[in-house]
Amino acid sequence: MIKNYIKIAFRNLWRHKSFSMINIIGLAVGMTAGFLIFMYVKFELSYDKYHENADEIYRVVADIKTPTETLNWSSTTAPLGPAMQADYPVVKANTRIFNFGFLVQSNDNKFQEDNIVLAEPSLFKIFTFPLIKGDVAKALEAPFSIVMIETAAKKYFGSADPIGKSLLLDGKYPATVTGVMEDIRPNSHFKFNMLVSLSSIEKMVPGRLSQWGNFGNYTYLLLPKGYDANKRQAQFPAFFNRHTTDADRKQGMNYAYFLEPLKDVYMVSKRGAPESGNLSNVYIFSIVAIFILLIACINFINLTTARATERAKEVGIRKVIGAERKQLTIQFLSESVIICLISFVFSGLFSFLFLPLFNKLSGKVISQSIFEHGYLFELFLISCAIGLIAGTYPALVLSNFKPIATLKGRFSSTTKGILLRKGLVIIQFTISIVLIVGTLVVYNQLSYMRNQALGFQKDQMVTISFNGDSAVQKHADIIKNELKRIPNVLSASASATIPGFGNSVAYTEVENHLGAMQQLNMNLYDVDYDFIPQFEMKIVAGRAFSKAFGTDTTKAIIVNEAAVKSLGYLKPADAIGKRYAQWGRDGKIIGVVKDFHFQSLQETVKPLNMRVNPRNTEVFTLKVSGKNLPETISAIQNKWKILAPERPFNYVFVDETFNKLYTTEVTFGNLFLYFAVLAIFISCLGLLGLASYSTLQRTREIGIRKVLGASVPGIVNMLSKEFLLLVIFSATIAFPLAWYGMYKWLQGFAYRINISWWEFAVAGILALIIAFTTVSFQAIKAALTNPVKSLRSE
Amino acid sequence: MIKITNLEKFYRTEEVETIALNKLSIEIATGEFVAIMGPSGCGKSTLLNILGMLDDPDAGSYVFNEIEVAHFTERKRADLRKHNIGFVFQSFNLIDELTVFENVELPLIYTGVPSSERVKRVEEVLDKMQIMHRRNHYPQQLSGGQQQRVAIARAVVNKPKLILADEPTGNLDSSNGNDVMELLTDLNEQGTTIIMVTHSEHDARYSHRIIRLLDGQSVMENIMV
Repeated sequence: MIKNYIKIAFRNLWRHKSFSMINIIGLAVGMTAGFLIFMYVKFELSYDKYHENADEIYRVVADIKTPTETLNWSSTTAPLGPAMQADYPVVKANTRIFNFGFLVQSNDNKFQEDNIVLAEPSLFKIFTFPLIKGDVAKALEAPFSIVMIETAAKKYFGSADPIGKSLLLDGKYPATVTGVMEDIRPNSHFKFNMLVSLSSIEKMVPGRLSQWGNFGNYTYLLLPKGYDANKRQAQFPAFFNRHTTDADRKQGMNYAYFLEPLKDVYMVSKRGAPESGNLSNVYIFSIVAIFILLIACINFINLTTARATERAKEVGIRKVIGAERKQLTIQFLSESVIICLISFVFSGLFSFLFLPLFNKLSGKVISQSIFEHGYLFELFLISCAIGLIAGTYPALVLSNFKPIATLKGRFSSTTKGILLRKGLVIIQFTISIVLIVGTLVVYNQLSYMRNQALGFQKDQMVTISFNGDSAVQKHADIIKNELKRIPNVLSASASATIPGFGNSVAYTEVENHLGAMQQLNMNLYDVDYDFIPQFEMKIVAGRAFSKAFGTDTTKAIIVNEAAVKSLGYLKPADAIGKRYAQWGRDGKIIGVVKDFHFQSLQETVKPLNMRVNPRNTEVFTLKVSGKNLPETISAIQNKWKILAPERPFNYVFVDETFNKLYTTEVTFGNLFLYFAVLAIFISCLGLLGLASYSTLQRTREIGIRKVLGASVPGIVNMLSKEFLLLVIFSATIAFPLAWYGMYKWLQGFAYRINISWWEFAVAGILALIIAFTTVSFQAIKAALTNPVKSLRSE
Repeated sequence: MIKITNLEKFYRTEEVETIALNKLSIEIATGEFVAIMGPSGCGKSTLLNILGMLDDPDAGSYVFNEIEVAHFTERKRADLRKHNIGFVFQSFNLIDELTVFENVELPLIYTGVPSSERVKRVEEVLDKMQIMHRRNHYPQQLSGGQQQRVAIARAVVNKPKLILADEPTGNLDSSNGNDVMELLTDLNEQGTTIIMVTHSEHDARYSHRIIRLLDGQSVMENIMV
C-alpha cells in the first residue's frame, strides 16, 4: 500500500512540475534558513558547556560601590581566589587568569601576541583544556613557562617538538615551552594562543598578586556538585570585611561579590567577558527562524489545499473503490512527508553551500560542516516534523471529500477554504512586512551610528601599536618627528589609547560644585601635547595642554563635559581651576574638552579625563593625506623598521577600529536583511503558486469576459486586486507590530534614530510592488490568452 | 439481494427543498440484470448512489443481503461496499497517475489481498477484458472504449456480487458501447447482479427488467423477454 502511495506521490509531483518546484524550493529555502539559524542558536547556547566541570565552575564577580555609583565589574583582584579557597573549605579549587600581551621572539621570528593568558596550574584542574604534550601538574609552575595551543606551536616551531624550546618575551624575559594543548574550542568565552605561568608576574611586577585594590584578573572557583551558590553569596559581606584594606575603607569603598555560573558567563551575564553573546539576538533569530519556517509551511498548506479540486476526483474514486478515510489521510500525509524529504535533500545541499557564507555573515565559525554534531539528522527530523505538521490540514480536508460530489464534478473550493488561504497569505505578508521594516530600521540605525559626529577626527588616521615598549617610549618625540617627515604624513601623536580601543578607569576625587571632593570613576586618556589638536577635539573651556606650561606633565588634567555635569557644574568654564587627586597625582583642571564618543554609540558618553603622560603611551597615531595611501603606508613601514627594529609593524585605521565596535550590530543587520529577503522570496513563491492557480480556475471566466469586451488591463486589474488587498491588509497588521518591536530594539542604544513614517511607507510599497509583480505575471499571461482557446478548454 | 422500502431522499439548499426519492420501494433478486430509466432529474443517480452505499437515505429501509444498511456508519458502509459492489461510470473515473494495471489492482490493495495474488488476479481480468497488452499504459493513452474496459476490469477484479453501472456507454460510440454491453451481459451470465442506469433504450434491451422512474417514484416496470 505504501508503495502505491509513494508511486502516486512521485507521479503527481512529476506531472505538476511547476507546482512541485514552488512547493519544494519554498520549503527547502525555508528549511535552510531555519536550519542555519538553528545551528547558530545551538552554537550560541553551547558556550563553555564542553568543560567536564561546567556545572560546578563559577566566576567570581564584583559590584564596586563607591559613595556615588555602583560599577558592575567582571574582573576581580588577584588575592581574592586564594583567600576564598582558604576561608571556605568547600571551594575545591580556584584559578585566576590575566589577559596579557608579549612581544614573542623565537630566533628571528617576532610576533606581538596580544592573546596571551597568565594562568596557574589549577587552570587545568578546573577547565577541560587537554594537554597534547607536557605535564599538567608542572607545566605552569615555574616562572616563564609557556603552554602553547597547537596552532601557535606550529607557527613558531613548525613540525619540530616545541617542548623545551626557548622564547624571548618582550625582548628581556627568557621563557621555556613546557606544554602544548589542543586549540581552544570556538565556543569558549575566553580564548588564548598561549598560556604563560602566573608566577612570571611576580618577576615582572613584584607584589602584584597581593594587591587587594587592583581589579585586573578573572577568578574562577570549582564548587561541589549541586552546591547552592546563593547560600555562599550571603556570606560574602563578612568575607569582604575580613579582607578589606585600610585604603579602601578610608575611601568608603565596598565590594559586593557574586558567583556567576560558568554557563551564564557568555550569554546571560551583563558584566561582559572577553567574548560575550547577546541573548535577545538569539531570541530574535529564533523567532525569525520560526517565522520563515511558518511562511514555508503556509505555502505548502495553501498550494496543497488550492490544488485539492484537482485531487478531488482521485479521492472520490478511491473512496468508491473501498478506501477508508484513514487510509486516504495516511496517503496524503505520506505525500507531504515525501515532499518534505525531497526538500530535505535540497535543504541539505543549500545548507552545505551556504554554511561558509553564513559563518562569514555571523562573524564566527558556527560549524565547519553540516555533517558534524548530528546536525543533518536533526534537519531530517525537522523535515519529517514539518511534513507531518504542514500536511495534516490538507490531508484532513482531502480525505473528507464526499465521493459523489467529487465524481459528479459538483465540487468547488469552500468559502471556508478560501478564507483560510487568504488568512494564511495575510500572515505571510505580515511577517514579511515586519521583517522589511525591521531591516530598514536596523540599517538606518547602523548608518546613523557610522555617520554620527563623534567629536573627533577618525578619517585617514593610522594608529601604530608598540604595546608600551619602554625603548620606544623613550624616543617617542624623535620617532614622531621622523614619521612626520614621510611625504603625505601630516601629523603625529603618541597616546595610551585611541577612541574605539579600551582605556583604563581611574578612581578619582574631584572638587564638585559644592566645593567638596567628590569621588568619580574617570575614564583615563594618557596623551601627549599633539593628541587633542591632531584628533581635532574641541576645547570648550580653559585651554589644551601646552609645552609652555611646565606643570602640564605633572599637575594638569582636561576633563570632558560629562565629567563637568557629574560634578554638578552648570557650565564648563565653572570647572576650570578645580582640584583633583588621582592615582597619587594632584593638581587642577585646566580645560574642558567637548564630549567625544570613545565607546560605541550604545553607551552614553561617560566622565573622562586626559593627562599628559609620556611614560604611559602605547600607540602612535598619524594623520595621513588621502593620496597614494598604499605608498604612504609602505613608506611608514620602512621607516618603522629603522626606528623601532625590535617592534613588529602593527597598524590599524582609526575609523575601521571604531566601526569594529559595531560588528555585532552589522552582523545582526546583515543577517536580518538576508532573512527578510528569504521571507519575502518564500512568500512570493507561495503567492505565485496561488495566483497561477486562481487564474487557472478562472480561465473560463476570463474567456467569457474577453468575449464580452473586457480589456487586458481590466482583466489584469481584476486578477491582481484581490491579492493586493491582502497585502494592504497585512500592512495594517504589520506596522504596529514592527513599530513596537523596533522601538524595543532601539532602546538598546543610547544614541538612536526615531522610527519614521517613510520606513513603513517604503516597506508597504515594496511589498505591494513585489506582490503585484508576482501576481501580474500570471494575470497578464491569462489576460493575453485567446478566449477561443480558454473557452474550448472547458 | 436488494430490498428497498419507502426510501426517501431530499436535497436542501437554503431556500428550496427538492425531493429526489419519494417513498420508493424496489426489490432486486440475485442474478438479475436491471436497467433504471427515466428523464433527467427523476432520481436515477440518487438511487444508484444509495444502492452503492455512497450516500444514505433520509428515510426508509435498505436491506442488502438480508442486512439493514440504511443507518450504517460511513466506515461500515465502506467495508461492505469494497467487498460486495463494483462501480462503472459514464466518465470511466480512472486515476490518471496510475497505469492500467495499477488502476485495476487498487481495489485489491484496499481489501488487503497479498501482492502475488493481486498480480495473478489483475492479469486474469485484464486478459478477460482483452487489454492485457495495454497494462503499462496510462489512461490518457487509451481510447474511450479501452478506458471503459479498464474501468469494468477494476469493478470486477474483486469478484463483487453486484455491479452498479451509471450510463456506462454514455461517452462511447455505438460500436464500443455494444462491446461494453456484451461484457456486462457476460458478467451477468456468470452470476453477477447488475443494476444499470441508462438513457438508452438500446442498452436497456440487454437487461431482464426495466424500472422507469419519474419524480422519485417508480412508475412502470417492463419485463424483457
